[in-house]
Formats: sequence, structure tokens, C-alpha cells
Amino acid sequence: MTKKRFSAVGFIAAVAIAVSGLVVPSASAADDIVVWADESRGANLKKALAVKSDWVSGYTITVKAFSNFDALKDAFDKATDASGPDIIMGANDWVPTGAKSGKLAPVTLTASQKARFTPGQLFDLTYKGNLYGVPVDVNNVAMIYNTKLVTTAPKTFGEMVAFYKANKASKSLKAGLCVAGGGMSWGAHSIFSALGADAFQFDSRDKIIYNRSFNGTTFGKNVRTYLLDGKKSNGFLPASDAGCKDNFLAGTVPYAIIGNWEWSDYVAKGFTMNLMPVPGVTAGTNGKMFGSVSGALLTTYAAKHGSEAGAKSLLTNFFGSTAGQVLYQKYEGRPPAEKGAALDATVTAAQRGFGAAASLAGIPQIGAFLNSNAGGASYWDSAPAYWTAVLVDGKDAVTEGNKLAAIWRANTSAGKADL
Amino acid sequence: MTSFFTGKVSFAIKLVVVLLVSAVLLTLTQSAFAQKEYFIAGFLAITIFLLILTYLSKISIPLKFFLPGILLLVAFVLSPILYTVTMSTYNYKTGNIVSQGEAIEQVKNRGFEPDANGTSFDIKIGRYEMQEAILVSDTINKAYFISTVNNRIPLNAADLTINEYSVAESAPDFETLSDADMAKADELYSLKRFKYQDEYFIALEGFEVGVVSRQVLEFDEAKDQFKNVITGDIYVNNGRGNYAIAGSPDKYLEPGWRAPIWFENYTKLFTDKRLRGPLVSVFIWTVTFATLSVLTTFALGLILALALNKPIRGRRFYRSILILPYAMPSIMSILIWGGMFNTEFGAINNLLGTQIAWFQSALFAKFAIILVNLWLGFPYFYLISSGALQAIPSELLEAAAIDGANPRQIFRRITMPLLLQILSPLLIASFAFNFNNFNLIYLLTGGGPRAELDGELAGATDILISFTYKIAFGNSIQDLGLASAISLVIFVLVASISMYGLRKSKVLESFE
Amino acid sequence: MNLWLRNNAWRHALVIFVCLFSLFPLYLVVISSFNSTGSLRLDSFIPREFSFANYKMLFTDPTIPYMTWVKNSLIIAGATAVLSVTIGSASAFAFSRLYFKGRKTGIQLLLLVQMFPAILAISAVYVIMERVYTFAPSIGLGTQAGLLLIYLGGAMGVNIWLLKGFVDSIPKELDEAAKIDGASAVQTYWLIFMPLAAPVLAVVALLSFIGTFNEFILARLFLVDMEARTVAVGFQQFIGGPYSDNWGPFVAGSIIASVPIVAIFLSLQKYIVNGLTAGSVKG
Repeated sequence: MTKKRFSAVGFIAAVAIAVSGLVVPSASAADDIVVWADESRGANLKKALAVKSDWVSGYTITVKAFSNFDALKDAFDKATDASGPDIIMGANDWVPTGAKSGKLAPVTLTASQKARFTPGQLFDLTYKGNLYGVPVDVNNVAMIYNTKLVTTAPKTFGEMVAFYKANKASKSLKAGLCVAGGGMSWGAHSIFSALGADAFQFDSRDKIIYNRSFNGTTFGKNVRTYLLDGKKSNGFLPASDAGCKDNFLAGTVPYAIIGNWEWSDYVAKGFTMNLMPVPGVTAGTNGKMFGSVSGALLTTYAAKHGSEAGAKSLLTNFFGSTAGQVLYQKYEGRPPAEKGAALDATVTAAQRGFGAAASLAGIPQIGAFLNSNAGGASYWDSAPAYWTAVLVDGKDAVTEGNKLAAIWRANTSAGKADL
Repeated sequence: MTSFFTGKVSFAIKLVVVLLVSAVLLTLTQSAFAQKEYFIAGFLAITIFLLILTYLSKISIPLKFFLPGILLLVAFVLSPILYTVTMSTYNYKTGNIVSQGEAIEQVKNRGFEPDANGTSFDIKIGRYEMQEAILVSDTINKAYFISTVNNRIPLNAADLTINEYSVAESAPDFETLSDADMAKADELYSLKRFKYQDEYFIALEGFEVGVVSRQVLEFDEAKDQFKNVITGDIYVNNGRGNYAIAGSPDKYLEPGWRAPIWFENYTKLFTDKRLRGPLVSVFIWTVTFATLSVLTTFALGLILALALNKPIRGRRFYRSILILPYAMPSIMSILIWGGMFNTEFGAINNLLGTQIAWFQSALFAKFAIILVNLWLGFPYFYLISSGALQAIPSELLEAAAIDGANPRQIFRRITMPLLLQILSPLLIASFAFNFNNFNLIYLLTGGGPRAELDGELAGATDILISFTYKIAFGNSIQDLGLASAISLVIFVLVASISMYGLRKSKVLESFE
Repeated sequence: MNLWLRNNAWRHALVIFVCLFSLFPLYLVVISSFNSTGSLRLDSFIPREFSFANYKMLFTDPTIPYMTWVKNSLIIAGATAVLSVTIGSASAFAFSRLYFKGRKTGIQLLLLVQMFPAILAISAVYVIMERVYTFAPSIGLGTQAGLLLIYLGGAMGVNIWLLKGFVDSIPKELDEAAKIDGASAVQTYWLIFMPLAAPVLAVVALLSFIGTFNEFILARLFLVDMEARTVAVGFQQFIGGPYSDNWGPFVAGSIIASVPIVAIFLSLQKYIVNGLTAGSVKG
């Protein structure tokens, strides 16, 4: 090549290398704690964290909000230490799988820190003896009744059904009790339980019995009595939750199970705090409902990024502290898990109402039992399948009830290994 | 104009562009190398080499046309395929996700337990005698000491500054780390085990708390096993991705790692009764669904094309409406159709005055799927059938008419065969597309209905790919290795059927 | 009159019936978008209320930067379409016109590669882009450029199939004439082929545009920042999560997103019909 060409090429190469400097990375900040959350929690976290600039000295905190909860889970499943977060706001049933797969790292709380939460809440985020995060908000459901339709709180399940039948025509009721929040597996557990089908059995000392399940025949007979008219559904309980919220708000369904995360929608429509657990078949009993916590979970990527101590400090200084939880729930509006925060004056009456209803009849959401599909299907799949089979397809309530009991018993036995 | 593409000017431009791109890629290669991404660095290096070779010389003219395409294909289509094939030979599922080195490290990290009382102290991190150290405050017993990795130095409370919480803030000869330095020191201090007593040490839990623990699991690198120093249990590498106690395979340490198990995932497909049954029934439905989809959309599209083959009034208007389903975003359309099939308030039940539980009955759900796919797909076949009809030379049809053939015969003997010859590649492509039409099944029925209470694994409308997706990304146990194996099997099936169709339609002969 | 009835009445009747079939769901979409409760419940075919609440939400709610999303979608889909067509047409030209060893095997391999079920592809691609991010953050995970590269990965395979037939149908004599004039393959490509192929390429570009516009699975993993999202990802916010069931803005947004696509589609109708089919014609 001629000298001229050579220098021309050299010049171009130099320009090119300069240009390509744009794609060379700058040193990534080693003093950053990355938190992942879904679209609502993420946005509110950012606001809460922005209040103070030094929750953990020497660190900046970055919150990444994904477009929805599924996207968050998807990304977390695929992440590796190159891109993974240090802390993730996840559901409690992520803990067993995350711990097993080496994505979550254990956290050790001091005795005084542990005292800030109930043992049940800590249990929700524990797997095989290790705690993997800090409980942040409580998710539970409760039953609400429309005071314009129903004047007194029902004391038994039968009362609700009787009311529905008596008023179905005159008030053009579309259903008696529907599940507006939590779905036909999680939210509907209180209905299962009220009629005799608890997901797992406790003995008199509140310890779990692993190899026993509910009595499918008793449950099936209750379903026949209260939910069926011969072989068909009597319309009291719809098999799906579609349209439940709309119908309840429109006054065409007197009782509904709602979740604490959407209470504000009901307030906006003028409903007052008449929350209660679902009444059981006999007076004085209730249907048990799941109370679960979502937590701020520590990932194994934090140690890889050299932010482990910082992330742990953030968990205790912000996520697990009274001040942090009060601040965060101010924006998020869910009941806080931390005891001091739960007593704080800014926690609305609504959250307290849910808490009260839940404490009357709450049971922990034990992922090991509910996620296991050793019996052929997990709790999440088999529960709504029961409603479909009996209320829609007209299958026999007792037969299907026994099938369900067998599945749940197998799941519980197998799930014991995962506690 | 032609001269623009020849001669010195064009060569100069080409040289500049190639050099620019190569320079950028070179920098990227260096950065990749620096970050230890050797595969990617190697790929980029090869890319540079190929680019220069292809565009600055005349070695291969065709390569000039499809080099970028091939490179992108290799990077983002071939490598995922290779990844899938590789993973199908691994025990790659929940609990066995990370690499072995990673798993060992994590077991080590979890391999210590707090002491019986859960003792914890308030600490301050800093340096003492040129080493990393922590200033420990036992606020309950009002005892204070400094701990380095090897030493524990008790302190006199009188020498220290103690705050109102009884926490020591500073001590003589102890340099507290400033806030700004704490973040950088995180990694260093987090790994340290500060001396406490006997086998117990203090480990950091955040910057202000230290927890007393002892190591329970120790790793023996030479023997590739873990030992529980308290109970004496030995955990050996079980060859499937976990360290387990020999003789008690149920007692294993977590997390495990992804370990090669070769063809076990494949044999499972044939031997596991729980999988075999659903796989066969899902396969049958997948083939049925793909075939019916192609047939119905093609039939409707063709009929419309025939109907509008004549320039009747309003043809343009009709055509604009007919292609609307194809132009709309399919996610939206599928979800809307899902709402329309709702049992209680769906528009379909409203219209027909029925109460059919569309998605709770296998038969109706399948019908719904075919119907929605028809709605989504017929405009495409209408368009291509229209064009194909127009492409048939009219002289052929006229000649046949003159010879005395009636319209039906003309259609059957001349039009149809020609149409099929023209459209067969697209029909085959449509079959292959629908065989893997994940979006429709996932968004419309979710694969259901499924008799979970009877232990069914697959739903009535599940096709192979949606069934595999549940195995790979379902809620409880995600078995990616098994899903990869199924993917490979699906691939072999689709490829064989499509290749057979292509051979029969003699499309590939155009490439001889 | 009888003749007209016999010949044409059935055509009109059939086509009108199918048009109703086409329009029915779209009519419901439009009605729901004006329904302020944001549900898909449609108990009557005549809308009982007519509210712009959903549309207003899209444009005024600060947590929904809808127009930004539309802009992002247009940019990504547009860039993908243009680049994808360029790659595809060049490859189709080479496979059709140039004779080289392994031509038939090559195209068979391309076809096969496309049929592979891409279930784990997302995991693989995610890992690749994560690693790219470590040394090239502007084209790695989380960037639009990175997503664009991934979309282009499949460009060659998909488009070759659509274009091959068309390229075959261009008479070889044109090529030969050009060769006699001394044109190289590249020159033939740019000067003779491209002008002829413009309509077909426009069609392929449009199909690619629509496909990319609708893609949300990869996009929602990659484009996490609110400002970087595409419309398809943004919609996930409304309908995706376990606690969200907000059909109103989703439907309204879908309509707005569809309008430009439908408009382009309709205006290019003639090209589309010619383009999709010209590929299948054999002389």
C-alpha cells in the first residue's frame, strides 16, 4: 500500500477506535444496591427510598420496576450474577425454589430484629431452617358483605345461602358469594375451609399433621347441601371469579371475598369496613384464610457484586425497620408486616380491619405443601378444578371431594421434605 | 450511475466502512476478552476476519450477500439451539440450576449455623494493626473487644467512646472505616470470619451487626465431598448434580448444580408413564390442530378469493374489511376473543342465547381454538389465494372452456392443481407455524381444560410447545432439561413432516 | 336480473357474512374502550355509556407514558423491518441467482433452523446478552439495540422463504443482460433487482413490522425501564399481573396502536396482494 493509503487507513482506524469508545463500558459502580420489584411496588419503593439519601452509608440504591409480576419472576428465573439484583421483592413461594436453585442467600436476624415480626411471617420466608429475607407486606383476604342488602353479619354459612335463595328474585342477585380477590384457589380457601376442606390439618396444639387430609365425604356432603341443587349449582357460588368485583360493587352479589390490596377501590364506591372471616357450617366456626407475606429477599448475586453487607444492611435498616415500612406502606397501601409499623397511626383503618379478620382465622401459606404436585396436581391447580368439576360439569361432589383430599394428602406428605 | 459502483471511489468507501466496522468489533473483542468472555471474543474475532475477507476480496461473492445474515443467525438462532440441545443432556431443573463451582460456594456459605443462643453483637468495621478488624459491643453483658481473623483482644470500657445504646464507637488503635469506604470494603469484610472463641467466629450481617456462628460443612477439594464437622456425615458427589450421603440419596445438600446425565431425559419420555400418555395425546391434538387450522383458513380464504375474483361492486371495500383481523395486533385479538367466550357474560353466549362453558369442556374449547385461529388466519390465505388466482394465465382457462369443460371441471382439473403447486410452500409453512403456535393456546385457553383432580398433566387444548413450556417454566418444579429434550423431539417431528411435504411438492427442485 | 343474482348474489352474501365475522370482535373492542369500568363484560350490544375515561388515562396518567411507548415500538419495529428486509432480500437474491456449492443444503438448513421450538431460546439469548452487557453495555441486556440484534437474528431465515419465489420469478435474462454490460453481482442486485423488488420488499417490511410490534415476551425481559418499554410490554401492566385486571386502558391502547398499522396496511393493499403472491408465480 502506498504511504498515503497507509496513513489514510490509520487515520480511519483511529477515528473508528475513538468512536467505538462509545460502546466500551465505564466501570460499573461497585457501591450500588439493586432492588427489583413489580410495577406497583417498584414505583412506591422509589418514592419511599427517595426520602433519605443514606439508608446505607456509602451506597446508592437503584430500583428496577418490571412491567408486571410475571415479567419480574421471568427475569429473576433467567438472571445470572451478571445482571441479577441484590434484593428482590418477591412472593413467599419463591423462597423454596429460589433457595434450592441457589438464587437466594440466607439472612440472619438478631433476636431483637426477629421480635419485630411474628413467627408465622418469618416461617413464610424460611426454607430448611434458613431465613431468606425480611417480611414486608401482608397479603390476606376477608369476606365483606353489602350492608345495603344484608343487615346483620351472617353467623353460619347456611344463613348466607338462605339469604341468597330468599332474595334472589326480588333483588335480582347474580350470585350469593363470589371471590373478588385472590382467585379460586388462594382466595377461595376460606370457602373450602368453611365447608370442611382445609389445605392442611392442624392438631389441637396447632401443629401440622402431615399425612392426614380433610374428610372428602363430609366436605362433599356440605357442598351438596349448600352449593348444589341436585346435580347442578344453585347459583350461590360461581365457579370462576370473573366479574365478581363488578357485580359486588353493582349490588347484585351480597357477599364477596376481597383482598387487602384493593380495599381502596371499595372505599371509593362507598363501602364501609364490615370485614369478617367466612362463617363456617356451624356457628362459631370460620373458614381459614391464608395470610402470606411478600418479602424483600436477599439474592446470592449480592455477594458476587460485592454488595452483600450493604444489601443486608438495607434489609435491616429500611425493609425491616418500622420507619422504613411505615414510609413504604404510605405509598403502597398494604398492611405492613413489621409490628411497630402495623401499630403506626398512619396505617389505615382498612388495613387494621383486614388484620383483625385475618387474625381470627388466618393460617400460614406453606409453599412446600401448596406448590408440591406429588399428588398429581398442586393445590393451585386442583382447587379451582374442583369448583369447575362440581359446579360446572356436574360431577359428584363427594367423589371429587375424595379425589381432592387424596391429592392434598399426597402433596402435604411430600412437601414435608421441603420445609 | 453504474460507475458509482465501480472504480476507486466505491472501493474507498467500501474500505472505510469495512475498517470502521472492524475497528469497532476489534474494540469489542478486546473488551470481551478482558471480561473473560472467551466464546464471544472468539466469535467476534472470527467475524472481523470474515468481514475483511469477504468484502475486501473476491473470494466468495454469494458470501457478500448473506454474511451479516448468517452471523446474526449463528449468534442468536443457532447458539440457542445448541444451548437447548446441550441442556437436554443435563439434569437441569429447579434445584440444579447453577454451575458446580457456584453450588459448592453456596453450600459453603450456607454451611454455618448460628450458635444455640443466636448471639449477635453490634459492630463497627475498621482496621487494627494493619488488618481487617471489627469493634464488637456486647450490649447485654457490657463487654467490648476487637476481633481480627486470628485474634480476639478484650477491651476496657473506660478506654472507649460509648454511645447511648451502649455501642462502642471508637477504640484506641482502631481505625473505623469511613462511610465512603464501607461500600468498597463490603466484599472484603463479608468474606472474613472474625475470631470469637473455639470454633465459633463472628460473621457480618450487614455493616452494623455480627452474628456468632460456626462452620458446619467443610469442603474437601481433593476428595470432592462435604463433611459435616458436627455430625460427621459425608456428602459425596452423586454424579447427578448434588452432594448426597452415600446410602441415603434423599439426604442431599442444596443447592445442586446442573450435571450431565446424557440421555436420561430422552429415555424418561418413553419410560415414564406419567409423561408418555400426555405426550402422545398432546402430539395427536397438535397435528390435528395444525392440519385443521391450515385446512379451514385455506378453504375460507380460497372461497373468498374465488368470490371476489370478479370485479363486483364494492370489492375494494370488502377487501379492506376482510384483512382487518390480520392487521390487528394478535395479542389484543386473542384476549378479546377469550372474553367473548366467557360463560356468563361473553358475547358469544349472549348472541346464541346459550350457557355453554366454552373453556371448561374439551370439545368446545377445541372448537373455540379452531374458530379463533380461523378468524386470525383466513385473511392471509385470502390474499395469497387472490394473487395466485390472478397468476393463473387466463388463456389456460379460456382454452379449457373452449374445449367444452364446465366451470366445475375447470376448477378441479386446472385451477386447483395449479393453485396447490403455487401455494404449497406457504401451506407447509403455515402448518409448521401452527404446530408451534404458542401464543394462541397460551392466551386463549392456557392449554385447558385439564382434569387436575384426575391427575392429568396436559390440558385438552395443549399443544406440544405449550405443554413443554409448562414443564420448563411452570409453577412448582421447572425442568428445563426435560423440556429441552421434548423440544428436540418436537423439532424432529415437525422437520420430518415439513421436509416430507416439501419433497412431495417439489419446491426444493428449484434449487437444484 | 336472474343472471346477476345467480352470478353475484352469492358472492355478496358470502362476503358480507364473513365481513361480519371479521368485524364482530373489533366492534366489541371499540365498545369496551368506551366503557369506563374497564371490564370486558359486554351485556348489551349497544353501549350503555360512552366515556373517554380510558383514552384519557392513556394520555394523562403520568405512570403510563403511552406515547413514549408508541414511539419506542415504532422505532424498534421500524428499524427491525428495514434491516430485516435488507438482510433477507440480499440473502434471497444470493440463493436464487448465484450458483454455489451447497446452495440446496443451505436453504434446507435455514428452513430446519426456523422450525426449532424456541422454548429455551429465551434463556439462552438472555444469558448471551447478559454477558454482552458486561463488556458492551450499550448493546447488551436492557437496551433497545440489543433487542434489535436479537430480532435480526431470525431475519434471514424468515424472509428468504417469503422472498425466494419472487426473486425466482424475475426473468434471468435481465441478469444476463446486465452481466454482458459488465455489471457485477452486487451491481445487479442494487441497480436491477431492488427497483423491481420494491413492492414485495415493502410487504415483507410491513409483515416484519407487525410481528415485531406484537412481540412482548423478549421485550418485557429486555426493556424494563418505564421509558424504554414498547407498547406490547406496557400492556402487560394492565392485564398481566395476578392483581391487575385493567382492561380499559388495554383495549383503548390496542385500538390506538392498531390504527397506524391498519392505515398502512390499507394504503398498501395493492402492493400487498401483488407482493405476497408474486413470489409464488412461476413464469
